[in-house]
Amino acid sequence: MTPGAQPYLPPAAAPPLPAAGAAVIGLDVVRLAGFTADACLKCNVCNTVCPVARVTDRFPGPKYVGPQAQRFRSDQARSPQSARPQRVPRSPVTPLSLLEPPARPGGPGRQTAPRPLSPDLTVDWCSGCGFCTRACPAGVEIAEINSRARAVLRVQNAAPRLAGVPLRRRPLRDWALGQTDLLGRLGVPLAPLANAFLGSRRLRSLVQAVAGIHRDAPVPRFAGRTFRAAWRRAGHPLPRPGAAVSVGADGRFPRPDRAVVYFHGCAANYQEPRVAESVVAVLARNGLETIVPDQVCCGLPLISNGYYAEARRKATRNIASLAEWAAAGYRIVTASTSCGHTLKAEYRTMLDLDDPAARSVAGATWDIMEFLADLHESGRLDTQFGSLAGPGGTARPLLYHAPCQLRSQGIGLPALDLLALVPGLEPIDLDHDCCGVAGTYGLKEEKYEVAMAVGAGLFDKIRAVDPARAPAAACDSETCRWQIERATGRPTLHPVEFLAEAYRAAAPSGQRPADGPGPSVDDRPADARGAPPEPGSTASA
Amino acid sequence: MPSCDVLVAGAGLAGLTTALAAADGGASVWLVAKGHAATHWSHGGLDLAAPPGTVGGGEGVALLARRPGHPYEIVAEDLPAGLARVRRALDAAGLAYEGDLASPHGRIPTAVGATRPAGVLPGAQAAARAPWRPGEGLLVVGFERFRDFAAPAVAASLARPLPWAGAPRPERVTAVGVTLPGLAERRNLDGLDLARAFDDPSWRGPALDAIARAVEPHRGDGELRVAFPAVLGLADHPAVAAALDARLGGPWFEIPLVPPSVPGLRLYEAMVAALRAARVAVQVGFAVSAAIRTPDGRVAGLATAAAGRPFPIRAGQVVLATGGFASGGLVATADGRVEEPILGLPVEAPPQPAWLAPSMFDPAGHPLEAAGIRTDRKLRPVGPTGERAERGVRIAGALLAGARALRERSGDGIAIASGERAARLALARTVGALAVPSGPVAAGPAAGPEGRGAR
Ligand SMILES: Cc1cc2nc3c(=O)[nH]c(=O)nc-3n(C[C@H](O)[C@H](O)[C@H](O)COP(=O)(O)OP(=O)(O)OC[C@H]3O[C@@H](n4cnc5c(N)ncnc54)[C@H](O)[C@@H]3O)c2cc1C
Ligand code: SF4
Ligand code: SF4
Ligand code: SF4
Repeated sequence: MTPGAQPYLPPAAAPPLPAAGAAVIGLDVVRLAGFTADACLKCNVCNTVCPVARVTDRFPGPKYVGPQAQRFRSDQARSPQSARPQRVPRSPVTPLSLLEPPARPGGPGRQTAPRPLSPDLTVDWCSGCGFCTRACPAGVEIAEINSRARAVLRVQNAAPRLAGVPLRRRPLRDWALGQTDLLGRLGVPLAPLANAFLGSRRLRSLVQAVAGIHRDAPVPRFAGRTFRAAWRRAGHPLPRPGAAVSVGADGRFPRPDRAVVYFHGCAANYQEPRVAESVVAVLARNGLETIVPDQVCCGLPLISNGYYAEARRKATRNIASLAEWAAAGYRIVTASTSCGHTLKAEYRTMLDLDDPAARSVAGATWDIMEFLADLHESGRLDTQFGSLAGPGGTARPLLYHAPCQLRSQGIGLPALDLLALVPGLEPIDLDHDCCGVAGTYGLKEEKYEVAMAVGAGLFDKIRAVDPARAPAAACDSETCRWQIERATGRPTLHPVEFLAEAYRAAAPSGQRPADGPGPSVDDRPADARGAPPEPGSTASA
Repeated sequence: MPSCDVLVAGAGLAGLTTALAAADGGASVWLVAKGHAATHWSHGGLDLAAPPGTVGGGEGVALLARRPGHPYEIVAEDLPAGLARVRRALDAAGLAYEGDLASPHGRIPTAVGATRPAGVLPGAQAAARAPWRPGEGLLVVGFERFRDFAAPAVAASLARPLPWAGAPRPERVTAVGVTLPGLAERRNLDGLDLARAFDDPSWRGPALDAIARAVEPHRGDGELRVAFPAVLGLADHPAVAAALDARLGGPWFEIPLVPPSVPGLRLYEAMVAALRAARVAVQVGFAVSAAIRTPDGRVAGLATAAAGRPFPIRAGQVVLATGGFASGGLVATADGRVEEPILGLPVEAPPQPAWLAPSMFDPAGHPLEAAGIRTDRKLRPVGPTGERAERGVRIAGALLAGARALRERSGDGIAIASGERAARLALARTVGALAVPSGPVAAGPAAGPEGRGAR
């Protein structure tokens, strides 16, 4: 049967279709991302869209590190799951040495020193933004090939570990950048101290020297209390893992058409509870309750830093928790495009978690803006927004940056249409490829300059608009928000925060919507949002 | 589920033209594409038709339109309107093209030192076609460290009569290498890197100085025309061209290179700018995997392969402009079938033993080149006996059966004309008449006319 002959089913009930490439060539290319390299036409289209290759010659571009280098990667080097640490020969690696027959103990062929797993170290410059994959006319999954190759590089350069912690500087740094949960649990109780530390230029220089995190790179400040703690305090349940999902009249949770399950991720829990608060408020305004399930970091920072095994452990725990809700018919929403893309795609494409539970979670996960747009498209969104116009009722331009993890979800730019519903707001698509930070990439001392150069065009476009006219910018991804805010000084919020604000503006003054946003755990006063930046209001002064 | 009046699959010339014509006609439009298209691979000109034995584009189109089963038989009448529309978009981006259906093909140099007949040309390539005057010479400029253009080899080849096939040619052809500032430290230089360098005004000045200095000694008694690799700016190309005009004070032209084609990228960006201005949602990286259908089987939209689950887009009219084999609009299987992978439409193709011609340069062209979808006059797909194969879909561009685009140099003209026609017919059914079909696919009340991300 051709794929076209299948009737379309509404998303909630539809089994996830394979990617188009899989439908075309009849292979499970999802698991075989590496083999899509064979479809490469060598057309260079990917190189035309790569933001990193645009700014530095150190990175030869997606075509060379992706499909070209893939031909020189051994089976082991293609799979981070099975790669084992290996000693790198001291002699320099030349293209010719890579063509030598592999050393087989006692077997035929010349005996050589062990070869490195990866033929091309420059793949480390790939930020993983995915523009190449989306532009490739042949369906080569270049970014996915690169991510796996980077993970193999990490294994290849493995440092000795003490209690699981790498002992060499950069492996330590890369490992630490993946520990968002751990950092959050340490940072929130010590928030004043931790924030003062992160705000001190001298201490940040020390961090750069010791850990290789650039002293000017954007790092967020910790909230005084996690979203989860505030949620529990407000009397909401925090279901345990494995707690049976009891639904309906006698159950603890409202039916799936009355509630959604919220995957807040790390940033909204530890650093930006105001985003979580806005999600809850906007859902409540639309008659939907929020259920906060058991969850840990989605694992993306571990994946992009090459710690696949640890990422898999996080993923397995999240899938176990979320699959129950998905099976009970709930939609899972997230306001982090990184978490969203990871739950929807990377558990399968990167971590090879491809069982029915993982698929059901992927199929049930919605970006918050995608979800609200869907409500709107079916006529169910409350569109009674108050005006967010500037003084004298003038419409305010809202500068919007679409992050790469949103683009990779393949759902369009729903935030633009939703923001356009708010009276007094004129959303403007800044139409720039990448802000540069790409999760944790732009924090690394050796990558910082490249990341800033990648985002320079975006920052210029923002700076070109007078802050008095456009006091704030909007972006769906936390790390991009921090990068933009750090680089331009322009406060940058999640689009859902503007929607929450517009709902508040519509409510009679002094009165919050009945199913209010719960406790305020915001780390800056509500009226500071959207105002011009105060000195020192960005992540690190 | 977002919805629109007209949904176009494919971001090649056919899809871009369809989307622009539909949006100009007042429809709400989404354009989705798996990736970039032949725009990025070819020369950035618009080849209308130059089958062997013809002198001009109009004559070529008329000849092909008389061939039974050729796409021009159906779409030739839409070519003037489509061409005018595309040129308005190019003009708006400062890319004034040269030539029309009445222009002779001429013979213009290529990056391997051959020549080719040309169609409508980007302004920066137009001087290549101007008649060679007695005594006029050609100077081919190369850039040191830039490996994609070997000026001495190109000049050596063009100095021979053979590549010109009897057409008027320059009296002498020479080459010069120019060292551009700062390139010594650069690695992995491709045409795009150079084009971006030219976009930077602070680099451009010294670079153009170096070029002018290198060209000067070659000005002898006769007139001189200067050829450059097509890397003279991307976003700011009009400014680079104006500055070069001023600096050289004589005719010059660009020779397009291997992909990524800088003139092709300029063309694509100009079309996308026009689409954005017309509020079309352009989504690259959206591979269509299946159709959405009404209960009675009519196509009512497309589902794209998004993260996690398919992303459905509902539409009143669907146009498939997914290209030929190179773009994946057609797929040849190892066991000898040719398939259209999205809808499984019937494909007209020779049986496998005839896939390969005995000679690569067979004058008839490549047998598989003509493979594609057969349609009725309204561009609706039909089966081998002329029966309707699918409802709710029209076909445009290289996916149509019956053309040998490379041999005939007809691919761009067919893409533009069929895109214009598909949009015209879709508009007739959409705006004011039929919006989005109702039925179970409509989960709730129809959404507004604006597609998501339509800006
Ligand atoms: C390398 C090359 C050079 C050429 N040079 C010339 C020339 O010099 N002169 C000439 O006249 N013709 C040339 N052609 C022929 C060319 O095909 C036409 O000129 C014309 O530009 C084709 O336009 P199109 O829009 O129909 O198809 P394409 O440009 O091929 O575009 C197809 C689009 O559909 C998309 N697509 C494919 N499958 C899917 C899917 N499942 N879902 C969503 N989108 C999909 C692709 O990603 C692409 O964006 C050349 C073709 C190639 C391949
Ligand atoms: S865009 Fe795709 S086909 Fe073209 S060179 Fe890159 S990987 Fe290969
Ligand atoms: S993922 Fe992004 S940075 Fe990496 S090669 Fe692709 S486009 Fe370049
Ligand atoms: S990707 Fe999501 S869960 Fe992971 S660190 Fe970022 S916010 Fe946290």
